[in-house]
Amino acid sequence: MQSLIGLLLWIFLFLPPVRDFLESMMILHMHMQMPLIILAGFLMAKPIIKRFSSFFEKWNEDGLPGIVLFVLILGYWMIPRTMDDALLSVNVELFKFINLAFLAGVPLRDSFPKLSTTIKHSILLILFIMVTSVGSLYIFSDSQLCNNYLQVEQLTLGWSFLIMGFAITGYLAYVWLFDPDAYE
Amino acid sequence: MLKRKTIIAIAIVLVVNVGIYFVGTDGFTAFTAEEARTQELTDHQPLFPEVTLEDSQARTYPFSEFEGQYVFMTFFYSACSDVCIELEENMAEVFEATENLHDQVQFLSISFDPERDKPEVLDNYRQYFGSDGEDWRMARINNQDELQSLLDAFEVIVIPDGNDHYTHNSAFYLVNPDGRLIDVMDFRDIDGAVDRLENVLESEGG
Repeated sequence: MQSLIGLLLWIFLFLPPVRDFLESMMILHMHMQMPLIILAGFLMAKPIIKRFSSFFEKWNEDGLPGIVLFVLILGYWMIPRTMDDALLSVNVELFKFINLAFLAGVPLRDSFPKLSTTIKHSILLILFIMVTSVGSLYIFSDSQLCNNYLQVEQLTLGWSFLIMGFAITGYLAYVWLFDPDAYE
Repeated sequence: MLKRKTIIAIAIVLVVNVGIYFVGTDGFTAFTAEEARTQELTDHQPLFPEVTLEDSQARTYPFSEFEGQYVFMTFFYSACSDVCIELEENMAEVFEATENLHDQVQFLSISFDPERDKPEVLDNYRQYFGSDGEDWRMARINNQDELQSLLDAFEVIVIPDGNDHYTHNSAFYLVNPDGRLIDVMDFRDIDGAVDRLENVLESEGG
């Protein structure tokens, strides 16, 4: 059932009118469409992981390779160029949908539960560094980074990245200052 | 300790991703579409399409008028309140610094807003930047199709923002005497542009 919802979400996001709308603004493109594609992959993951269980157990035993893949794919789609290319080329667009769903969403599902708390927190720290540096780049860059979006949209996206960074800091500060287990 | 399989798997993930990043950024050289555009343009050297210009003195002539000369160009619109001003100011500095080359290099600012940038508007605008209307001309292209064909050929991207303004990419463009675009330069690097002009003309034997 869950994987069916994931599949439907994935197809829904790919429908031209939905795509046009979500790509009409920079912030929707990066902070709405892309995470939703990852979510679609995440939801679709169960049967895939089951079907290839021996592969996942063998090669992603402790979840590290999967999470490294997830982080790198995420980083790739934060490069300004990739967003422009996805708008201009159908092949890149297709690549984006497959890539984010199956090379980010699926490995995240398989890996995250396998990771130790320390590694989970380190990954969050890495993501924090990524979003704040990309966010600052979008905010402080003098030039227009994406040819298909207005500079003011770039600024909005930059702040959105920083807010994301804030949220991550908040969570990490919380788990480090208070021991959540103590309240369970 | 990490298991051997994990290390191999991470290595494969890294290699594959280096591959993806490599292809996606043209070998780690172009991280924005603008960089990719600049590289692509200087590799392919597109020909300046046949367009009719109307300059600040309301003279009309085809672009081929400048055949046999280098043309140092920018694209702008006069109602622009930020980057165009900087662009044209920097162009003015290049213009002043290369005074000895003016017989070999034509300076040309093309407006992509022909509706508002009438000859009298251009004539007014050019004076702010020390353009003499001869060695450095400001012109519009009245025919919308011709204008678009030029913007397409040089991959100048102009997005109207709905409030009578535009977001657009800015650069110095250098067209050779055969009408081919040979360089797209950073408009903030004035010295670099001056050097480039001097080098090009020197290698010509001029």
